[in-house]
Amino acid sequence: MADLEVSNLSVHYKKLTATHSVSLSANSGDIIGFIGADGAGKSSLMHAIAGVIHFEGTVSYKGYTYHSPQECEKIKPEISLMPQGIGLVLYDTLSVEEHLEFFADIRDIKQDEKFLAYKEKLLHMSGLSEFTKRLAGNLSGGMMQKLSLICALLHRPKLLILDEPTTGVDPLSRLELWDILDAIRKEEGTIALVSTAYMQEAAKMDKILLFDEGKIIAQGSNAELIDSIRPFTYQALKEYREDVITFDKRSYSLAPLQAQVAEPTLEGLFFINALKNNKTLPPVEIGDKEQQESVPPVIMQAKGLTKYFGDFIADDHIDIELKSAEILGLLGANGAGKTTFIKMLLGLYKIDEGSLSLLGKDIKSADDRLELKSKIGYVSQHFALYNDMTVRENLIYFANMHKIPLDKALQRIKKYAYELGFAPYMDKFPTELPLGVNQRFSIAAALLHEPLVLFLDEPTSGVDTIARAQFWQILHKLKEKWGISILITTHYMSEAEYCDRVVLLKRGKKIADDTVANLYKAHPDAKSFEDIFLSYFEAQI
Amino acid sequence: MKSFFTVFSKEIISFMRSIPLVAVILYSFTADIYIAGAGMQIKPRNVVIGYVDNSGGGLSQKILSHFHQPEFVTPKPYLSQKALSRAIFNKEVLVGLIFNSDFEKKYKKHEDTQLDVLIDATAASQSLTTLAYLHNIILDFEKVDIPLKLQSHKLFNQNADNHSFMALTELLSMITLLSVILTAIVFVKEKEDGTWDLMLLMPVNPKIIILAKSASQVFIVTAGVVLALGFVILTTFNTPLNGSFWSFMLLTLLYGFSSAGIGLFVAAISKDVMQVAQLSIVIMMPLIFLSGAWTPIYAMSPVFQKLSLISPLRYYIEGSESIFYRGTAFVDLLPYFGGVTLLGVLLYWYGFRKIGRLF
Repeated sequence: MADLEVSNLSVHYKKLTATHSVSLSANSGDIIGFIGADGAGKSSLMHAIAGVIHFEGTVSYKGYTYHSPQECEKIKPEISLMPQGIGLVLYDTLSVEEHLEFFADIRDIKQDEKFLAYKEKLLHMSGLSEFTKRLAGNLSGGMMQKLSLICALLHRPKLLILDEPTTGVDPLSRLELWDILDAIRKEEGTIALVSTAYMQEAAKMDKILLFDEGKIIAQGSNAELIDSIRPFTYQALKEYREDVITFDKRSYSLAPLQAQVAEPTLEGLFFINALKNNKTLPPVEIGDKEQQESVPPVIMQAKGLTKYFGDFIADDHIDIELKSAEILGLLGANGAGKTTFIKMLLGLYKIDEGSLSLLGKDIKSADDRLELKSKIGYVSQHFALYNDMTVRENLIYFANMHKIPLDKALQRIKKYAYELGFAPYMDKFPTELPLGVNQRFSIAAALLHEPLVLFLDEPTSGVDTIARAQFWQILHKLKEKWGISILITTHYMSEAEYCDRVVLLKRGKKIADDTVANLYKAHPDAKSFEDIFLSYFEAQI
Repeated sequence: MKSFFTVFSKEIISFMRSIPLVAVILYSFTADIYIAGAGMQIKPRNVVIGYVDNSGGGLSQKILSHFHQPEFVTPKPYLSQKALSRAIFNKEVLVGLIFNSDFEKKYKKHEDTQLDVLIDATAASQSLTTLAYLHNIILDFEKVDIPLKLQSHKLFNQNADNHSFMALTELLSMITLLSVILTAIVFVKEKEDGTWDLMLLMPVNPKIIILAKSASQVFIVTAGVVLALGFVILTTFNTPLNGSFWSFMLLTLLYGFSSAGIGLFVAAISKDVMQVAQLSIVIMMPLIFLSGAWTPIYAMSPVFQKLSLISPLRYYIEGSESIFYRGTAFVDLLPYFGGVTLLGVLLYWYGFRKIGRLF
């Protein structure tokens, strides 16, 4: 029997079943990776195993079996859970040292020499030794996560449950977090259950569990999983076929294709799974624009844009240029200054220093923006929509605000609903829809007035791989058909592949700005964009 | 103008879809006001009186027969003063009367007669009003002959009816509370959800959006006021409306906007609905204290009297009371209209600057 055995575990919420009788097992020293879309049941399973929510089924850990949070109490000293969200378990006004003392106290750890030596080791491993006096509120996102992790490790748990510890964290800190985890499980024999949104990270784990709709649909080591989908992966097809999903230079098909095979990636798992469930990607169509306008060659030019929040510099003299019909990716970890930058472009934040010109017009005050409003489309973080109105009502409302005549608006809404594939959801409320559908319909809302430029703030975060693939197809079609320019922010480094040019931000500073092709040329031995950005991050220290 | 109605009707639809919110509004403008008005009791009710009668009956029973329902429960006899004291101690009796053995004898001889009264003073107002009743009863027995008589003339509220007054005050407080909180919430919810940023980027003047959004909430409150007047104030409690109905509605509308301005101010400085709840209380309390709702303005210290000028509620209460009870003419109400409008304009100006513009 394995050290950790989970059998037929189900978690129910009011109407929803988050996990359907899931089983898994793990041994000391294993790192088990959970991958899957938001809402696939990863967090629910983690919380159930950690004994913080009610569940059906059994969990047995080293021979002790529990069915409920009450029964789990007994082995809580062995368990540690780090919930999702950067710095969620930290207190902004306590220093690093005070955090360690606090967590040691609530865990009732004897502060003997052995503990002090262990604490020093953790601090050293996390690189926080020099920052023990710094308040948690003043740490970067990566440091916060490292502090959260060592706080979770203080009582030497043997079962470590980490819910997306790296989401939104910069690539270097992500590597460091991984190193801590790897060292601890070797030394302490800890079982680690880790969910992640990054496939490169999942690839390093001993076993990967792929979640979909509350079930584990595939599991195995990275190599096993990749082998399992190799027969279905081909070089990208040129033409569209209904039973084939083509994305990121690869085509996936269950039926044999007359095409060269390609080396699969873990992401392919999601596409193969979709194909097996007959959930093929509907083709995305973008019709021609109704009105044609002349577009200046440079859409947006920012020179030395700077934003201060008190003493904190959110954006430090950033120069960025967006050319006509270009998809520009603005990449960086959480807190790198991406959203602040977009908000300055839009006039939602005051520009403290620097100059900005949009569509050939210098922006000195809000008055300069008036005539530009009808040429800019914006999708904000988390898809801002009115939750008490249906999709149709939302779109009509936005069309009215854009002063589009009603008959024309209805026509366009119908067209987009069909083209972007949310027509079946028109009379539903946004809260009832999957995130991917919300994402497509918020982009429709931003396209109603046929803008010349789109600003998209983290439109892909939390959305599952399939929806993300579809979303990028929409963006590419838009560029092709409309000649639209797009500025998109994301913390997924791998999405840089789909942009024409990328700008990398690190803590308010621009550290890279080049076309995708040039970046690959400059780093011939990089396997992925992750590696390329890592080299920039390391060069900056 | 079209944008104004687009936003306005969207807000009304959103409101109607939120069933709990509609229920709260309906409750606040009907049942709540009824309870506030009807529940106001200064008269004693079901007071238990105990007595020890050593005088042998007659006069003592005559006095006791004056205590009857619904104010008093039929007085209970006790055998000794000790038993009565224990009953008061055990909260079985609120007021105890002791008739001494020489009570009736002395009274008949026109000597100084004494009736001992024991009172549980923890329920101060009830027992003290009982005492006042007792005084009145005894006065009826005394035939004092002084050539002086009080003839009072009740002005403005002829029935000296506390119910209608309390109900009206409750209505005014509800208007204040709901206009501030409803308005603050519609703005903060948009800020929280991120839709406010989208609104600012629409090719519509943000001032129009702000006005339309707050107008929708003022409209909801005004509809509630009509409901309250129709079902509770003017009918159930028969509050006199000596002035013009329309001047009250106009004053209410202006005041609604002024309170919505406070809501806008609250929304502008808070991040989420939680903060709105906290800030609304912190901001509204001084405004209500200073308004004269709880303490008449003339009874305040001179500093607070001056400060009360910044509370729009002050103008509204004074104006409404004048309309209802005094029947003041429209022209004489202008200072109240002016005060409410001026404060409203200032608050909107701040709100526009704080959340209603791009840079």
